[in-house]
Amino acid sequence: MPQVALDNVRVLELTDGIAGPYCAKMLADFGAEVISIDHPIPIAQPYPEINEAERKARQLHLNTNRKSLTLDLELERGRDVLLDLALHCDIIVESMRPGMVEGLGIGYEKLSQSRPDIVMTSVTPFGQDGPYNQWNYTELTLFAMTGAMHREGLPNRYPLKYGGEIAQYFAGTTAAAATMGALAGVALTGVGDWIDISILEAMAGHPHQIGRRAPFAYSGENDLRIEPRTSAAGGREPYAVGTFRCKDGYVSFLPLGPRMWPNIAQMIGQPELREDPRFLSTEDRSENRLELEVIFQDWLDQHTRMEVFDAAQKAGIPGGPVLEALEAADNEHFRERDYFQVIEHPEHGTHSYTGLPFRLSEAPISPPSPAPLLGQHSREVLTGLLNMSEQDLDSLVESGVTSLG
Amino acid sequence: MVNSSGNKPGPLSGVRALELAEIWAGPFCGSLLADMGAEVIKVEAIQRIARGPIRPRPGTSGYPDGEPGERPWNRNANFNVLSRSKQGITLDLTTSDGAETFKELVNVSDVVFTNYAFGVMDKFGLGYEELRKVKPDIIALFTPGYGNTGPYRTFRSMGMVIDAITGHTALRGYPDMEISRNSLVHHPDAVAGATAVFSICLAIHNRARTGKGQFIDLSQAEAFMPHLGEVYLEHSLVGTPRSRRGNRHPAMAPHGTYPCAGDDEWVAVSVQSDEQWREMCQAMQMPQLAYHPDFETLPARLRNQDELDLIISRWTREMSRYQVANLLQEYGIATGPVLDCGGDTYDNPHLQDRGYFQAVDHPDAGVHLLSGPIWRMHNRPEVRHEPAPGLGQHNQDVLGDLMGLRHSRLAELEATRITGTVPLDGADMGGVRRARERGLSSSDS
Repeated sequence: MPQVALDNVRVLELTDGIAGPYCAKMLADFGAEVISIDHPIPIAQPYPEINEAERKARQLHLNTNRKSLTLDLELERGRDVLLDLALHCDIIVESMRPGMVEGLGIGYEKLSQSRPDIVMTSVTPFGQDGPYNQWNYTELTLFAMTGAMHREGLPNRYPLKYGGEIAQYFAGTTAAAATMGALAGVALTGVGDWIDISILEAMAGHPHQIGRRAPFAYSGENDLRIEPRTSAAGGREPYAVGTFRCKDGYVSFLPLGPRMWPNIAQMIGQPELREDPRFLSTEDRSENRLELEVIFQDWLDQHTRMEVFDAAQKAGIPGGPVLEALEAADNEHFRERDYFQVIEHPEHGTHSYTGLPFRLSEAPISPPSPAPLLGQHSREVLTGLLNMSEQDLDSLVESGVTSLG
Repeated sequence: MVNSSGNKPGPLSGVRALELAEIWAGPFCGSLLADMGAEVIKVEAIQRIARGPIRPRPGTSGYPDGEPGERPWNRNANFNVLSRSKQGITLDLTTSDGAETFKELVNVSDVVFTNYAFGVMDKFGLGYEELRKVKPDIIALFTPGYGNTGPYRTFRSMGMVIDAITGHTALRGYPDMEISRNSLVHHPDAVAGATAVFSICLAIHNRARTGKGQFIDLSQAEAFMPHLGEVYLEHSLVGTPRSRRGNRHPAMAPHGTYPCAGDDEWVAVSVQSDEQWREMCQAMQMPQLAYHPDFETLPARLRNQDELDLIISRWTREMSRYQVANLLQEYGIATGPVLDCGGDTYDNPHLQDRGYFQAVDHPDAGVHLLSGPIWRMHNRPEVRHEPAPGLGQHNQDVLGDLMGLRHSRLAELEATRITGTVPLDGADMGGVRRARERGLSSSDS
């Protein structure tokens, strides 16, 4: 039986928000033992009924395959346990305000003296230093600063955020990539590192942002919000690009360049358009793009999303249906690939969860486990890994340093 | 050659990775691996380039001062920023000599990654099984849009389409408009690239332990879907899909982008609690607003958001976006100026203070400010980018010096156009995309 990918890796997780937990989730989902530190008393929500489902969904999603150890880090004994645990780990993922991790006694300089091979990943909105390092943030305010928002939306309206919590998940993915790179480095050189992830810089260094910043650097051109299907930028012709209404919903296309014009004519079943004098050259088609769009829209109105998808593939055009979340979960392709994972949670029932972001041929993974209950693994971690006596454990519980789930 | 800028060794120093990639997902993966010290060799072909048109018109944007120059393929802004710190060679993999030469290179490499469509590598005779015959512990990552198995594996895809099928498109856009008015988005490409780096590093780590390589099947759709995992679960928990929100949030108000003084200037503001709302009223010097029954509590503010947004817009309109952001942050309110991708981000004092931008001198394109690595490593604080390679720039270094091909062999490869430094006519993306009459015409003839 081949080994589970990361089953020899132990991670201490001290995070909140999304980017830090998602980084730890990627490690956990591939088999690392991730011990997450929670406060023994859950944070009270001032308006628990508002947006409850979203909060619950996020918590269940982000915390799969974890162990929960509760520790009150305001108490010295809590911090002692934390240090002991940190020295038993290969990786620390933390997302506290810059400076706090040192205050808790587990700063990188200190840990690396006895554990030069330790990898610490600090995930914060703006990074460890710089004038904004103590700034507050939400997905909206951070996304605004990355360059991505300014071009999203219409020119005469306000700029838009993407859906969901995209910048934070993306930063979490880059944090996991850097963490894994540093861990590979430990395997190659024996020396670890401290990684400083700024969510802002991750999203500002995203290919779409650097790809749009480049023309500015090279020729002073800025990337403004535009009306859809009015620009032939990027080697594209303006028709048949973007999202369109069809018979039962919406579809999106991104054909690349004039070479795909014959494919488009083929897709909509009107190959004779290729000979039409209005549409012979790229210039003709750009000039008459509105006429072309009417022809295109007529065809779309008569076809369902899946019919359009099928026709697009047969014609070799990148195009596909706009699906809602559970429609994607029910889609034939992801079913066939057995992508979604059914996980039963003792308190929140059985649901289908998004699966692994990739598959490895030589390293299978274990069946997934649901988000832990608060303190569910306190006993296991303290008496097992840290070798604590039952007596000491009782004393920690009594003094409120930890709690047993 | 590599590391002429004197970077300290990184965690991946000593790892050699071969990139067969176009657009964003693959090239982004390669630049991140290079940022960590890996030696990344980008393999292209003079028969097919993804470096913009071969002969763009003068004045085309994205070239230094709008001037495409003698060798536009080496002066394309987009290509040059996404291919930082790599070496570049050319090999026509559709020929057996090209494919065999590639295999010899695989033999001295650790990783091969590609975002080519499904089946392309097999067509070259370079599928995973073939690569493994050459180098048993090779790590190979193939990332077509939908993955390497399943009914859609051969489907054409782009980030825009992955965005649609995964459910993100349905969440974007103005809530009062049809989504057919949405902007283009290519975000899933970036997610696939970053995820690919994670998976390759995981495989390197695993190889150090087991001695085994790995085939990595990365579906760009499946890499992105966990970023929406909470949206899927919420749908499953409540039984209805999440509706579009624009810039609003169901548990925060105010929560939006507000106009500021100046042309197309905006500031984003999120108030996360009633306490922060009272602070914000102090900052706006409107203390009476804090306890107004229409705005005092979160439920009240959610009900009266339109009015709330008007009040805030009237206040922000008198100031610059930075004035609003700096002031509200002093009061602990999450606020951010909306910055464009060009001058705004370059001018941002925080990014400047962090040294996020660095001047890179490209031999064909000149000196430009490029964005830095997206992470810092404490033991290797400064990572200088190398300029992107010119087409076939490192043919001698890689095929000759590294692989030991003799001079006569290199000349033969060049004479048969298996290698080269000038693209053939029609080899660009705007053209038919593969020069049909290989060896017969060249754009320099």
